[in-house]
This record gives sequence, C-alpha cells and structure tokens, in this order.
Amino acid sequence: MSGMSGDELEFTPSKGLTVGVEIELQIINSRDYDLARDAADLIGLIEKAPHPGAVKPEITESMVELNSSIHPGHDSLASELKVIRDTVVQAASRLNVRIAGGGSHPFHTWADRRIYPTERFRHLLSLYGYLAKQFTIFGQHVHVGCPDGDVAIYLTHILSRYVPHFIALSASSPFQQGEDTSYASSRLNTVSAFPLSGQIPFVHSWSEFLEYFEKMRGYGIVESMKDFYWDIRPKPEYGTVEIRVFDTPLTVEHSAALAAYTQSLARYILTDRPFAPQRDVYTLYNYNRFQACRYGLDGKIIDAYTQRHVTLKEDILETLAVITPHAAALGNGLALAKLAADVEAGRSGASRLREIFRERGSLNDVARVQSDVWMGAGEPAKAKEAPRP
Amino acid sequence: MTTFLPQYPFPPSPVLLFGLLLLAGVVGGELVKRALNLPRIVGYVLAGLLLGASGFNLLDEELVQESWIFVEIALGLVLFELGRRLHLKWLRNDPWLLATGLLESALAFGFLYVTLTYFGVQPIYAAVAAAIGVATSPAVVLLVAQELKAEGQVTERALNLTALNSVVAFVLTTMLLSWIHHEYQAGWTTIVLHPVYLLGGSLALGFAASVVAIVLSRWLGQRAERQFALVLALIVLTIGAARMLDLSVLLALLALGVFSRNLDTRHDVMTVDLSGIGQIFYVVLFVVSGAKLHLVELMTGGGLALAYVAARLAGKMIGVMSLSHLSGVRPGTALMLGVALTPMSGLALAMVHGTADLYPEFGARLSAIVLSAVLILELIGPVAVQFALKRAGEAKDAV
Repeated sequence: MSGMSGDELEFTPSKGLTVGVEIELQIINSRDYDLARDAADLIGLIEKAPHPGAVKPEITESMVELNSSIHPGHDSLASELKVIRDTVVQAASRLNVRIAGGGSHPFHTWADRRIYPTERFRHLLSLYGYLAKQFTIFGQHVHVGCPDGDVAIYLTHILSRYVPHFIALSASSPFQQGEDTSYASSRLNTVSAFPLSGQIPFVHSWSEFLEYFEKMRGYGIVESMKDFYWDIRPKPEYGTVEIRVFDTPLTVEHSAALAAYTQSLARYILTDRPFAPQRDVYTLYNYNRFQACRYGLDGKIIDAYTQRHVTLKEDILETLAVITPHAAALGNGLALAKLAADVEAGRSGASRLREIFRERGSLNDVARVQSDVWMGAGEPAKAKEAPRP
Repeated sequence: MTTFLPQYPFPPSPVLLFGLLLLAGVVGGELVKRALNLPRIVGYVLAGLLLGASGFNLLDEELVQESWIFVEIALGLVLFELGRRLHLKWLRNDPWLLATGLLESALAFGFLYVTLTYFGVQPIYAAVAAAIGVATSPAVVLLVAQELKAEGQVTERALNLTALNSVVAFVLTTMLLSWIHHEYQAGWTTIVLHPVYLLGGSLALGFAASVVAIVLSRWLGQRAERQFALVLALIVLTIGAARMLDLSVLLALLALGVFSRNLDTRHDVMTVDLSGIGQIFYVVLFVVSGAKLHLVELMTGGGLALAYVAARLAGKMIGVMSLSHLSGVRPGTALMLGVALTPMSGLALAMVHGTADLYPEFGARLSAIVLSAVLILELIGPVAVQFALKRAGEAKDAV
C-alpha cells in the first residue's frame, strides 16, 4: 500500500489565492539536439549549489522538473523562476547539455527514452508499457491556494470552463517524433491515452469527493491522488487546485505570465462567484478542448453558460478585460497586458516554433533554438524584436 | 581451349579483399558476441588474428598493405566524428575536463617513459613509445559506445578525453620526430621543418576542408540526406589530400571535425549520422589491425608489454581520478571514465608511420616494444569500455 493515509487526504488549508508552478523541461544534447539522458547528473550538480525552489526528476531521464516556492503574485514568482533558470542553465553548461521549454521535443524517438530509475517510475513503466516512455512530454502545472476543500471543488469546476484558454495560451508542441502534427498542442493527445486522465467527477463538496475517492481506492484502481491524471485536480496535501493542461512555455517569463492569468482568474471566480458549476461544461468539455489543442487561439469553442460560439482569441480577450481589476489587485496587471498583446497578435509558442522551422529548415535546429530561447540566449538574428512567448 | 577460365594464381582484387575482410569480421564479431557476450570488436580483431600472420596467413603483409586504403577511410570517419564531439565551449564551461585530459596524458607519458627506461629501453624509443601510449583508441571507444547505444556523462567525457589525448599524443610524437631525425643525422632543415610541416599542413588542410563544409552546407540547406553526401565527400577528399601531401591523415581529419563544429557559428553544418556507413569500414579496420598483430612478439616481449600496460593504466587512472570530481559529476563516474580510456590501438603506430618508412630500422625496433602491449590492449580495451559504460548505467538496456 502507499503511504497515503486518511490524514493526507485532509485538505490542508492554504493562504487563499497564492500561486506556485511546476515546470517540466527537456534536457537535450549539444551535438544534434536530440533528447539527452543526464537528469541524474544535472540534478546532482544543481543540488550542490544553493538555490530557491526545487529541482526533481521526472519519468524519463531526459526530463527535469522545476518547482517554484509559493508566491503572492506574478512579480516575485517571475524573479524566482529566473534565478532557478540561471542555476539550471549553469549546471547544464558544465555537463554540456542544453535545457529547452516547449510541450514536446520536435524529433526524439520515444523508444529511445529510458525510465528514471526510481521505484515509482519503474512501476509506471510496468503498468502503462510504452505509454510511460511516450509520456516524455513537457507540461507546466499551476497551483492556486484554497482555504478549504469545498472551495477547491468549486474552483475546479469553474476553471474547467477555461481549460481551452490554458491550452491555447501555452500551446507549444506542434512537432512530435519528427513530424508537424498540425496541432498547436499535440502533447495533450498523449495524456489522453492514460485510463485515469480526464476530468474530476461532478461532485459538489469535499466530502462528496472523498466518497468518490474512497470508492476508487476500494476497487484498487488508485492508491493516491497522484494516480489521477486529470486536467485539473485538487491537491489536498498542498491545499491547492492544480491545473495541468499547460504545455511548458518557451520561456520562464511566459510561465510566470500563465500563472498570473490563472491566479487572476481564480480571484475573479472566488471573489465574484460568477457561475454555479454546470454539467454542460463537461458535456462540451472534450469538444472545446480539442478545438484548443488543434487550432490554438483560432479554435472555436461553445460557452456552456451562454451557448455562444466564440473563438478562443475573442473569449480570452474578453476574459482578460473582465479580470483586469483582480489582476491589478494581485499586482499582475503588467504581465496580463503583455499576454493580451500576444493574444491580440495571434502569437503563441506553437506559431513561433513553426516559424523557426520555416526559417531554418530542420527540426534539429528547432530544438536548438528552442533551448537557446529558454536558456535566455535568444535568437541572435531576432534579438532586437520584442520578447515573445 | 580454356582461355575463358581464370588463370591461377588469380590477380589480386581489392574488391574481393574488402568483401573477405568484412565477412570475416561479421562472422567473428557475431560469434564472440553470442558465445562470450563481449563487444563485437573483439571478434573482429580475433578474426584478423586468425587470418593473419599468426593464424592461417591468408592476409599476408602484402594484402594488409593492399587494404590500407579501407583502414584510412575508417580512421578518417572515426577521427572526424571524434572531432565533431570535441566541443571547445564545453572545455571553457568545464575547465576541469580540459585539466583532466592534460593531466592524464602527462601522467601516462611520464609513467610510460620512466617504466620503459627502467627496463633498459633507450630514451628515444622510450619517449616515442610513451607518446604513442598517451592516445586512447578513438575507434574502440566510439564503436563500443555506438554498439551499446550509450549516452551520458561517462560516454561524452570519455570521447572528449580521447580526442584530447589523441591530440596530445600527436603533438608529442611529431615533436619527437625532430629527435629521431637528429638521431639519424638528418639535416637541420628536416629536423626543424618536418614537424612544422606535419602539424601546420595537417591543420591547414583540415581547416580548409571545414570552410568548404560550412559554405557548402549553408548552400545545401538543412537537409540531412544532402549533407550526408557532402560530409562523406569531404572526409574522403581530405584523406586523399593528406596522403598525397604526406601530411597526417589523423590530424587533418580530427581538425576537419573540430573546425566544422566549432567554427560553424551559424549552425549550418548538421550532425549527420555516419554510424551506418562507418560500421562497414570499422569492421574492416579491426580485422586488419588484428591481422597485423603477431602472437610471437607477445611471447618474447610479454614482460615488457605487461609493464607498459600497467604503467599506462596507472597514469590514466590517477590522472582522471584526481581531477574528475572537480567537474561535479556523480561519484563513481571518475573510476568508469578512467577504465573507458584503456583501449589502445595498433594504429597508434600510424602516427609514426612516416618515420618507419624513412627509417625502417627505427620502425621495427619501436614496433617490437609497442606491438605486444597493443595486442593485449586491443583485446582488453573494448571489454573495458563496455564494462565502464554498462556499469555507469549509460548503455541502452541499463534500466
């Protein structure tokens, strides 16, 4: 049995509306820019130097995960992420590997991946077979603090309506296994293959949620909350709601901006309580999600509350206008203004990667530039342009 | 009446020879892999031994000479690939890697020189034999890494250290050339200019070829299939030019690799996968180096050979172990790194190839000292690399 006791399912209250992120990153080699497998050496080296946050292994040896601390708003989060990034980049340079953002590596072959040797990851390989290696995709998780479990359940249901926003704003996995997938975010198709992916059941309170969880545990389907690969899930031990649909953006600046958007939206939801949870959100969920994955900001979704058809670009811009006062209250105003400018111009990580491919002509070079951009070196030829997501 | 039938003895055919070497290698490699689970390279070398002077003598001196062209192409491919992996930026980011490379080279040279003179070898022979021992066999390390599909810090660092100690060994042997010339009463111009010509000329040739590679790659665009042919063309061209100009094939190709990687600031030259075509030539390379070995020499020079192997190993191990941890790699990495530098190849003698042609007597006496050590290391080396990379968890099926 896992160490998960009843106590750990108790919702640890956290200071409302704080924010923190986990970012999964690619470790790539400096030779042909394919994925490398130096996670253990990299983490070992980083551990030797003092740094904020934490750096952890992920399921394959080509991945590393950064965790931020808990933050009141965008600015402190962004500056901490930059410090962690610089620490990681410095360690990577000593090992001659590179670190890249983006939701997928453009051309690695999943069969070449090796599972990071811990008991949990080995168990996942034996359970999920090849899916475990295909899970070498890179996402960002945003945690929003909640005072209690009931609030967390409410927030989860309302945020579900905005899942397409999160996908379109972060989409940066147009290439997989050496091909243009035609998707803005192809990463989520890989997640969908897991049997415990999807959404939280339509429960109304923490106690009702616990009943569901105990039932699933009784069947032996899950051992802990970790086993649910839902798009949004409550995380009782942290006292947060965790949004997991983001592709890892190309820069840490964009990572912080996405966290600011989520946090401002959560403040709007929990302060104004604009909607009640509705089943139709989940009826339309997969269609809207697909639109966001496939077309990014150009995707057309159906709003479950108004039955209106609207493009994601319009819907996000409208939402940004609505949450402006909340963003201002959290000190996130500037970050969201930049985000709005990108959405207005139709810029996304996916469109940028496709542009790099058109310019350079090889996916090896896409991976190289992808890592240059994340490591803060930028593209030499493009240095003069305004920073983009 | 029977004029349409071939006449015995058959005329020599390089094509037939190439096929024979390849076939012998493939069979030998597979047998060794299946029966003993050792690297295929060991099988290639054993196949060569069996076919060569120590075995059935099917591959006599003349045929070995005949096959030299294949060996040079193979070496060219290996050195180019190795040069591509020598990333100067890494040496700046991790100066301890460079320091490790210089220290282990220096200690290997020092230990070997002292050991050989202790055993009564004349200083000049001791120095040249020690310089040859500084180099780790690039072909063995690269091939075993490819066979195991190994990647990670031990693999990458071993390849970079191999590139470094190959350069050091080359510079040392070239400098020692002056001494040899002096010994044989050559004129002062030869003593001074020959090393300069070898070093400068080979570097210049590699540099020129790398400029062509960069310019043409930019023109061809980022297409792996086009750049593959380009790279192959330049490798073969550079080998041919180096031969023609009596330069060093090894240094020219290493320089081509290093320059084409490190001068390519706009990232126009793609890293193309040469392992497929390389494999064919590598098999032949090792069969031929096996055929060149003489078991008899091991019997006569066995004691000295063991001392040579031990001194070399001690120098490399102490060098690597004393500095590697400063690079911040995981504990245990240093030991495996030291082990992975064990291989030595008879082709190290190619470094003084020209000398042997100029002064046959010198070449013969030098071979007598070095070749029995080579025989031991040619067989143990691949096993050591395989052990190190597997133990470090960097081989493909480690988990």
